[in-house]
This record gives sequence, structure tokens and C-alpha cells, in this order.
Amino acid sequence: MKGFGGPLLAVLILIIARIAFPAKMNFITEVSIFSIYVIGCNLLYGHLGMVSFGQPFYLSVGAYSTAIYLAYFGTSPMMSLLIGIGAGVVVGLILGPFFVRLRGDYFALVNLAICAIGLFIVEKLLLPITRGDDGLWYRSRMADTLFLDIRKPDNFFLFVMLALLVVLILFKYMDQSVLGASFRAVKGNERKMKFLGYSTFTLKLTGFTFASILSSFSGSLFAINFGFVNPNLGTPGRAADVLVATLIGGAGTVYGPIFGSFAFLGIRDIVSKYILRWELFVGILTILVLFKFQKGIWGNIEVLLYEKFGKKAKPS
Amino acid sequence: MDKELLLSAIVFGFSISAILLLVSFGISIGFGLMRIINMEQMIYYTFGAYITYTTITVFGSFWLGLACGVVVSGILGFIVERVLLKRVYGQELMFTMVVTFSVFLIGIGVIQYVWGLAPKPVSSPTEIMIPIFGVSMPLYRVLVIGIAALVYILLQLLLNKTIIGKALRAGIEDAEKVQGLGINIYKIITFTFVVASGLAGLGGALNAPLIMIGPYMGFDMLLFAFVTVILGGLGSIKGTLVSALILGQVISVGGTIWSPLSYLAPFLVMFFVILIKPTGLYGVAGKAFGFEE
Repeated sequence: MKGFGGPLLAVLILIIARIAFPAKMNFITEVSIFSIYVIGCNLLYGHLGMVSFGQPFYLSVGAYSTAIYLAYFGTSPMMSLLIGIGAGVVVGLILGPFFVRLRGDYFALVNLAICAIGLFIVEKLLLPITRGDDGLWYRSRMADTLFLDIRKPDNFFLFVMLALLVVLILFKYMDQSVLGASFRAVKGNERKMKFLGYSTFTLKLTGFTFASILSSFSGSLFAINFGFVNPNLGTPGRAADVLVATLIGGAGTVYGPIFGSFAFLGIRDIVSKYILRWELFVGILTILVLFKFQKGIWGNIEVLLYEKFGKKAKPS
Repeated sequence: MDKELLLSAIVFGFSISAILLLVSFGISIGFGLMRIINMEQMIYYTFGAYITYTTITVFGSFWLGLACGVVVSGILGFIVERVLLKRVYGQELMFTMVVTFSVFLIGIGVIQYVWGLAPKPVSSPTEIMIPIFGVSMPLYRVLVIGIAALVYILLQLLLNKTIIGKALRAGIEDAEKVQGLGINIYKIITFTFVVASGLAGLGGALNAPLIMIGPYMGFDMLLFAFVTVILGGLGSIKGTLVSALILGQVISVGGTIWSPLSYLAPFLVMFFVILIKPTGLYGVAGKAFGFEE
């Protein structure tokens, strides 16, 4: 199958990194999960040209549906992952038709609003269920899974690698398909796209739902990884994190999100040793990237590769 | 619900409207005149509140603090506009949004660095209660309403009676033609921006005794301010006034009926309005926003 090699190589590099630096395994797991989240944002921003300040909401939808299932209803982590993905589908399909009709700036703001509402619901309205700021703990309730006991960090790492591989292959397939080309065309000139007879509404809704699914899937993985969730996951203040990671990696590229989340989480880990909160740093980083480094890491590497091997440049 | 409770809720609602009116001016004009989404307006609001707090702890005078808050916010607005925002005029809206949002985050970071994370109380300058229709109300809230009304009247005079105001209104209609008439629109933009950030600072300073001030106080206010602007229609001062009045009552009276409504009701109103009337209450039809045509 064409296009299988790249994603496999990317995941292999991550596995090699884990073997080379055994102490950094948790970090690599986190980077991989974050990458899935960033891929969702990249799909929205890089492909469709829609900025959303509400991505943490979709993340916390996945995390909380997984957490509530594990804490109150069942014990199977696999089932809880499916429920997290299902929640993403439902939220994307319910909110999507209303949101994607809005013009870009209102789309971003309405997402910020839904993020604030989500935080309020989780923190205050559903206090008896979500236990508010204390967070919901359920690690001891997780049961064994069929092939791989993902309660163990080592096995969970492998599981996340598998998930990332699948997501990357699908993402790359989408990027090269007609759907990906249509997404980029919507970003380029939506009016012309309409003129050509495409329903930009359907395209945007599809992209929005995909992004919502990816975000909630990574939220579910976060929930299983940490064994607890708290409202901090979905605060509007963290809306810029995922955007910055997308921009650093290179918006609209296939492997950009991995580089972006690696760079972002790496810098954040170093910075947070010196300052408690990283809003200041995230803000400065975004402005620098926006003004000086618009192509992102993978965007620049891609240019080098094309120059070196003389491949045909990708239409953008 | 008894009459006294309702009456006091309405007066509280008007004081909330006053704050909303002051802080949303910058966002509304920012879009109308400069075609940028001013996500960072609320950082002046936060700074206004914090400067007031510091001045009170040092000098003990609330009104001096208010003045300092307004001046510092205005200066900050001037710096941000001159250093950063002038580079984003004419760029696409998404770009301006992400840039200004980053400025907002940087501001929050600076505040955390200088004042710390813990919320700070600001004491009200007067504790006097005055009777209105037989219900005793805190004088301070009535003062807030009075100050906002005064500011609104001054703004209207500025916009309608002075050359700068007329150029500004013309700039909202068509910035290029104004420039063609030999008026330096960028000077007017800077002036407007300083006024707008000063007003946001005034809003923050006035609101400080009514709430606990904290680094994240701007976030909720940002959302409420955008709801105000969306509801009223972009670029329309009158629309901002009307929607601030409506939202104040929705927040206050709604919150009296069921307390979560004080937070959720504005968003419900906004979603409703966006679905029914994309231009907002007083938006110009030609500048329909919200929906793609």
C-alpha cells in the first residue's frame, strides 16, 4: 500500500527513541498522545483553514466520557476508549452543523464559548459526578484487556504507538485523497469551491467531525494514561497550546504534528522547571512562530527534501 | 420572586451592563475600524484592576487607583498597538486573532509573574447604602452606573461633535476613502486604540471591588464582551449599549432565578441571536457577520 512507509518510519523512530532513552518513556507516550490531538487541530487549521479556540473542550469530552464510564459503569479500558471516540462523533455531529456555518472568526469565538461552558458544566453543574476540581480517580477500577494489559506503562506505550500508527496512516491517506485536496481548496478559496459545485458545508462538517473525533480520542488516551481527569484538561487558557504545537510543527503537513508536539512539550518541560505557569512563554512562542517561522519544522524539512531529491512540490 | 429581590437584581444588572459597555467598546471599534479581532482588550481590563489594587495598598485611595488604572491601561494599549498590532493590519482575521490571543496570554503571564496567582480582594470605596424605591442599594453600584453613563455621553459627543470622531466614524465605513481625503487614518487608529484600552482599564478598575481580582479574570470577561459585541452588531456603539443593557439584566435576573444561569444565560442568548439574526441587533446589513453568505 502506497504511503505506508512514512508513518511506519515515524512510529519506529519513536520506538527507537524509547529504547534509547528508557527514562523518557512517559514523555514519549505523552508526546504521541498529544500528537493525535495536534493532528486534529492541524486538520482544522492546516487543511480547512479554521481556527478553533475550543479544542480543549473536545479533548475533555473524550477524557470525561472515558473517565465517567470507568469510574461508574464498566471496567474495560477498550470499551471506554470506544465510548470516548463515540462521544467525539456525537459532539462533532451535534455542534458541527451549527458551528461550521459561521464565518472563521465567529467559529473561533463560539468554540471558545463552548469551551468555557464545558468547563463550567464539568466544574460546577456536574459536581456530584465529576467531583469538580478534585478530579475523578479510577485507576484501580481498570480491568485487564484481551491481548495487551494496558494498565502497565510499557504495554500502554505500545498501544499508543499502534494508535498513532493507525491515525497517521489514515491521516496521510486522507491528505493524499480527493477529500484532502478538497479541504485545501476550501482553505484556498471557498467561494470558488462552491462555484465548482462542491458543498463546502459538508466538507467543513466532515473535517470538523474528524477533528472532534481525533481530539476526543486523544483525550481518552490521556485519561487512561494518567488514571484520573480533572477540569484543568479543558480550560480555555490551554486553547493556544495545541495551536502553537500545530504552528511549530508546520500547519497542513502530515508529520508536522509529531515534530510540533515534541518541540512544544519538550520546551514546556524545560521552561516549567523555571516558571510555574507557561502562559507567558506560550504567548511569546506563538508570536515568534507566527512572524518568523511560518512554515514550521516539518514545513522547512519538506522544502529541503524537495530541493535535495527534486520531487515535485506538493500543491498547497 | 418578591419585589425587593427583583428590584435589587435589576440595579445589579445595570451595574453589570455598565462594566460590559466599557469593556466591549474596544472590541467593537477594533473590528469596525481596524478589521482585527481584539482578543487582547481584556488584558487592559485585568491590568486596570491590578493597578487599582496596588495603588490602594500603597496610597489608600480608590479614586487615585482608578485614575492610575486608566492611564496605565492606555499606555499599555499604546505600546501594544505601536509595537505589534500595526504589523497585523490588513492580514487575514485568523492571523490577527491568534496574534492578539497570544498578547492576551503574555499579559496573563506578566500578571502572574508580578502579582502572583492568588486572587486579591479590593475593598469598595464606600459602604454607604442608599434607598431606591424603598430598597437599600450599595451606593458604589449606582456610582458605577453613573460613571458608565457619563462615559457613554462623552463618547457620543466625541464621535458626533469633533473632527476626530467624525473621521473615526467615516473610517469605520471606508478607511481607504478617509485616507484619500488626506486624513492619517493610522493616527486615528492609535488614538482610538488608546481610548479603547483606557476604557477597558476603567472597566477593570470599576469592577475590581465587585469581584475578586485574579490573573484569569479577563477570560470570562472576554467571553461576555464578545457576546455583547456579537449581540449588538459590530461597529455600532448604540448596538453595544443596547446589548450590554440586555445582557446585564439577563445575567443578574437570570442568576437570581437559577444561579448557573448567571454564567450560562449570555451564551444561550448569543447562540440564539446568531441563529436568528446573524447581523446582531444593530449590525449593518451590508456587513453581515456570523454567517457566510
